Order: sequence, then structure tokens, then C-alpha cells
Amino acid sequence: MAEAAAAADPLAAIAGFAQLLRAHGLAVGVAEQAAMVQAALALPPQRHAALNAAWRAIACQRRRDWRQWPDLFARYWQPQRQRGSTRVSGQTRPSRDLRQLVQQMHAQMNAAAGQRPGSAPGAADAALDAATPAADDPGLAQAQGGASRSDPLHDRSLAQWLPQDLAQLQRLAERIADQLRRRLTRRWAADAQARRRLDLRRTLRRSLATGGEPIAPCWQQPRRQRPRLFVLVDVSRSMSVHAQLFLRIARAFVGAAQARVFVFHTRLAEVTPLLQRDSGTVQEKVNAVAAGFGGGTRIASSLRDFTDVHARSQLGRGARVWVLSDGYDADPPAELAPALQRITARGARITWFHPGPQQPVSSAMTDAAPLVHRFVRLNTLRDLADAAPLLR
Amino acid sequence: MDDRALRQALHQAGYIADDALATTLWLAGELQRPLLLEGDAGVGKTALATALARCQQRRLVRLQCHEGLDLAQAAYEWNYGRQLLAIRAGEAGAAPLAEAQLFGRDYLLERPLLQALTSEQPCVLLIDEIDRADEAFEAYLLELLSDWQITVPELGTLRARHVPAVVLTSNGTRELSDALRRRCLYHWLDYPTPAREMAIVQATLPEAHTALVEQAVAFVQRLRHEDLAKVPGVAETLDWVRALHRLGQAAVPDDAALLDLTLGCLLKTRDDRFQLTPERVRQLREGRRSVGVADKQGQ
Repeated sequence: MAEAAAAADPLAAIAGFAQLLRAHGLAVGVAEQAAMVQAALALPPQRHAALNAAWRAIACQRRRDWRQWPDLFARYWQPQRQRGSTRVSGQTRPSRDLRQLVQQMHAQMNAAAGQRPGSAPGAADAALDAATPAADDPGLAQAQGGASRSDPLHDRSLAQWLPQDLAQLQRLAERIADQLRRRLTRRWAADAQARRRLDLRRTLRRSLATGGEPIAPCWQQPRRQRPRLFVLVDVSRSMSVHAQLFLRIARAFVGAAQARVFVFHTRLAEVTPLLQRDSGTVQEKVNAVAAGFGGGTRIASSLRDFTDVHARSQLGRGARVWVLSDGYDADPPAELAPALQRITARGARITWFHPGPQQPVSSAMTDAAPLVHRFVRLNTLRDLADAAPLLR
Repeated sequence: MDDRALRQALHQAGYIADDALATTLWLAGELQRPLLLEGDAGVGKTALATALARCQQRRLVRLQCHEGLDLAQAAYEWNYGRQLLAIRAGEAGAAPLAEAQLFGRDYLLERPLLQALTSEQPCVLLIDEIDRADEAFEAYLLELLSDWQITVPELGTLRARHVPAVVLTSNGTRELSDALRRRCLYHWLDYPTPAREMAIVQATLPEAHTALVEQAVAFVQRLRHEDLAKVPGVAETLDWVRALHRLGQAAVPDDAALLDLTLGCLLKTRDDRFQLTPERVRQLREGRRSVGVADKQGQ
């Protein structure tokens, strides 16, 4: 019986707890498990209540872990206090008692110390071998070599968000931001690249420390910059289902790549400052900005506004412009292509994300398609993950 | 010293820690692991390290991180000027110096990290706002935090005489690497509960009136539920109570003008000042979360 084993073997109980933590995305590996055992041994048996805080400090590594800890701890160690759980008659609840566990561990350690004097510190390590899950443990597959926090990407539509999806999106955004190809700010002549160039200014500045003797010369390094990223989100009526999802994605990139985010509808407005703040009411604020824009979508005039006013000074060589829209435009069809042309003429590259399975087929979009570097379908997190290698 | 004794000692040093924090801090000492503290600005992350040093009567070595922080500022630097002088003196007639002598401990300038390792007495090392330092520096810290040693290529590896109690703080402006996180114990320092905040204010400003402290803390606690760009921390509460006390107030004043004058202690951005209208301040002062019927009729 699992319950009996848990009561008899405290290390197995801790291993089971670590497995539960891993299943919920906490990076609890062998080292953390060993530290948990050490903590339990370091605390006197009557102070078992402090184990909650001690283990929390060991197992949690970020705020997300910190928040879900009380629930996970209670679920494993105090199942009798969990409300709303069903109980099948004849089945006993797993009895896990922290006090008992700590007492047993102390007893085991004392016994080990009695057999082999002076070996007490090694007891935790020896105990850990027993605590390490067996190879056929189903939890091991996703926790090989310690811990894993990569859970399968959800095919769930982005409309249903869970905290782990958000965390995953954030990591994805960071990965994509990282791989955006950095560009040289200045090209040097081919032969000059072979030679190093002395940075005279910095060399002289540094030589002050050595009494004016340039002992450590500084060399010029070719600088590479990450391209500027602009995200334009369509928040018109036809996109109302998707706009919220697109805004979340845009927000992830504000954090990961310092992107500037705009929403458009019949007009264009920048929402970057709103997205930078960690506030529960972002959506309402964005709605407030976009409210009163009136019906219809005027993509072409919004894009013109973007090029000429908002991003005039920053839209340069290598900039990336991501448009998140279904491509239904209320402006005359002939206007979209010139509007996109103005962006590409500045050296920026346009990627068009569309929620539908096919790339937009309106007549305006058909004309404008050659100006778009890439069309990407975006309806789930998996779509974004699949497209990640292409977004460079 | 067990966790309860540590909590008591911290209390005497002027830091009111809750049980969980005291246990974590004790465990960090027990397992000799660094403690990573995260939390919003002004919740008392740095103050914890200073209080820990005070209560354990250890020296506090502080490294304030910033963008572009490098090894020369954080760990060690060769004293070039002195080396140059020694070379010149050698040239001028005294016995010439061997190169090995030039790169001896005499010519090594110890910066905070090395100071903490080579300290004669155990000390507390505070690495403040680690998220502001570059990722390369974070990687450099890994050797220090896991093996308690620093490698100086010209000298060899310098090991810690005593493992220092290390406290790292972060405001979360940048995501820290998993490698660093895994080497640390973690604690998220949240805004204090009303009772704890009152205890903190009373411990820091014992001369302030109890009614003032009570009302001010209740006001700030309600203020934290507002949608503010910069939520006031404990430091702001202390500033505000101090300001009101200096103004001779025995309670949070009813006078809207006076209240508005001192709100600069709590609200640190223009947006927040704009958002908190006198009317809203009055509601918060009276402990109301939303606009009442009478107010609506009056408007």
C-alpha cells in the first residue's frame, strides 16, 4: 500500500512530494531533494511546522512557484484539510504526518550514527539514494537528471489561459527575442576586419590608472544590435475574439524584446506603457484606449500613421514590424500595398500573423502579399512555437 | 541559534521578520546556501541583510550591482599604480623586482566579493539588485556561490576562510538565470500584513502616536489595493508616518490639503498623483473601497 509505505519510509514520502512538485513545474532535482532531507534533519522534531517554510525556500525558485506552493503543500501533506475532494467509501486517505516523518528521520539518523560512529552527515546522502525515484517511475521520464520544467505545449486555443501558459509564453518570447538576428551597426572594410583597431579614446582613459602608460590597450569591437521590434495589433470587431490573445503575446514581447506595441482599429494608438506595467486591469485600459474608434478597420491609414508619425525616427534598417490582423480592411484596397511599401522602403521587414488557417485573401491583401516577408498563422501557443525558428 | 532565536535577534536589531522568513534565513546559514530575496521595491530586502549583520555582530560587505559592473569593481583589481612605482623604484637602483612579487597579495586591491571571502571574521555579503548586473557577471558569481572561492589567474584560487552569509536581492527587472536560482534558497518578500507593518513602524518610530501609526498603516494597506504604477512599500509608510509626526499630527489628518501635501511620501509618479483625486483619498481615509450612493448623488 502506498499509504503504508509513506508512513513507514519518510524518504519515500519526500520523494513522492518532490515528484508532485516536479509535476507542477517546480525544478526540484536531486540536489533540492537532498537539501530537503537535510533541512528535515536539521530541525528538531518538535519544530516540524517550520518545515513548510524551509522546504518552500529550497524548492521554489521564482514567484510563480512561490504562489502555488501553499496549495501543493496542503494537497500532499494535509489531504484531510482539502475541501471538495471526493472520498470513496472503504478507501482511506493517505496519512502523511510531518511530525511522524521528522521523528522517524531523526530516529533513523541516530540509529545510523550508532552503528557507524561519526557518519551522521553522510546519512542524508545515503538516505537520498533510497529517495531517488526508481527508473520505472513515471515521474522520471519528465524529470531525468534532476528536474524539468518543460511541459507539453498546449494546443488549447489562446482564449483559455492558465498561469503556466503565460509562463510558457514568456519563455517562448524570450527565446524568439534572443534569436532575432543582431545586426552590425557599422561595417568595416574587408581588410580592416582582419586587423584589430585600437580604441584610442578608451586606451588613453584607461592609461590614467597606470600613470599615463598604456599598459592595457583597448580594441574596438564591432557592435551588433538587436533589431527594433514593433507589434501592431488589430483590435477591430472582426478580431475581438483574437485581440486579447494577440495583446498577451505582444505584452510578452514588450518584456522580452523591448517591443513597441500599437493597437489599431480605425485609428492607431500606442499601448506600450500600459503593457509594461504588471497590472490586472491592462485589458480594460487597452479597451479604454481603443474605445470610440468606431466601426470598421482602416489598416492602410493606420499603417501610414505608424510610419509617418509614431515610428518615424525608429523605423530603420533591420527593424521588424509584426502585424497581427485578419487583413479585412475598410480602406480602399489599392491603399494597403503603398502603405506597406513605405515600411519596407525604410528597410524594415514585415511579418503578418493571421488567426485563420489560410493567409488573408481580401483583394487588398492579395496585392500587398509580395511586400510581406512572411505570413504566419497564430491561433495557439503551438503555432507561435512552431513559427519561432522562422522569426529571425 | 535556532530559527526562533534568530527571529528574536532580528527583532532586537530592528527588523520584524515573520516565522517563514526567519526559518529560511536560519536554513540558509545551516545549509550554507545564499539566500535570494525577491519582492517589490521597498518591502525590506536590503534592510534584512543589514539587520542580519547587526544581530550577528558581523561586518556587512555590500556590493551594489549596476549595468556594466565588472570583475575589477566587484572582485579584485591589480594596483597598477603601485606596481608601476615598484618597477620604477627597482629600475632606479634598488633590487629589481621579480614578476612573481609584482603579482602578490600586496598589489591586489580587494573589492567586495574578495573582501567577503578573505575576511578574518565571518561576515554578511549583500549582493544588492543582482538583476541590474549583466548576465556575464551573474555567471561569474556561480563559482563564488557554490564553491566559495575566487580564481585570480596570476595568483591561484583563493578560498573562503569563513563561508559568508550571502543575501542576494532582486527587483525582478530582469529574469535571473536558472543556474543562479538553483544555487540559492528563495524567498518572496511580500508586503507585510497590517499587524506586522504596525509593528515595523512602531519599532522604527517609537515616538509616533499609536493612533497615527494605526490609521496610517490602514490607509497604506488600502492604498496598495489601488491600481498604482508604484505601490508604496514599507519604506514609504515609514516616510509618511515620519512626515506626519514631524508636522505634529497625532492621527492621519482630516484636512484634505494637508493630507495632499504629504502624499508625496507615498505616491512617486505623476500618474499615481493624478489618479488619486482628493475625493478618492478621502474615501481611502474613511476606509471605503468604492464610491457610496450619497457621493454619487452629490456629484
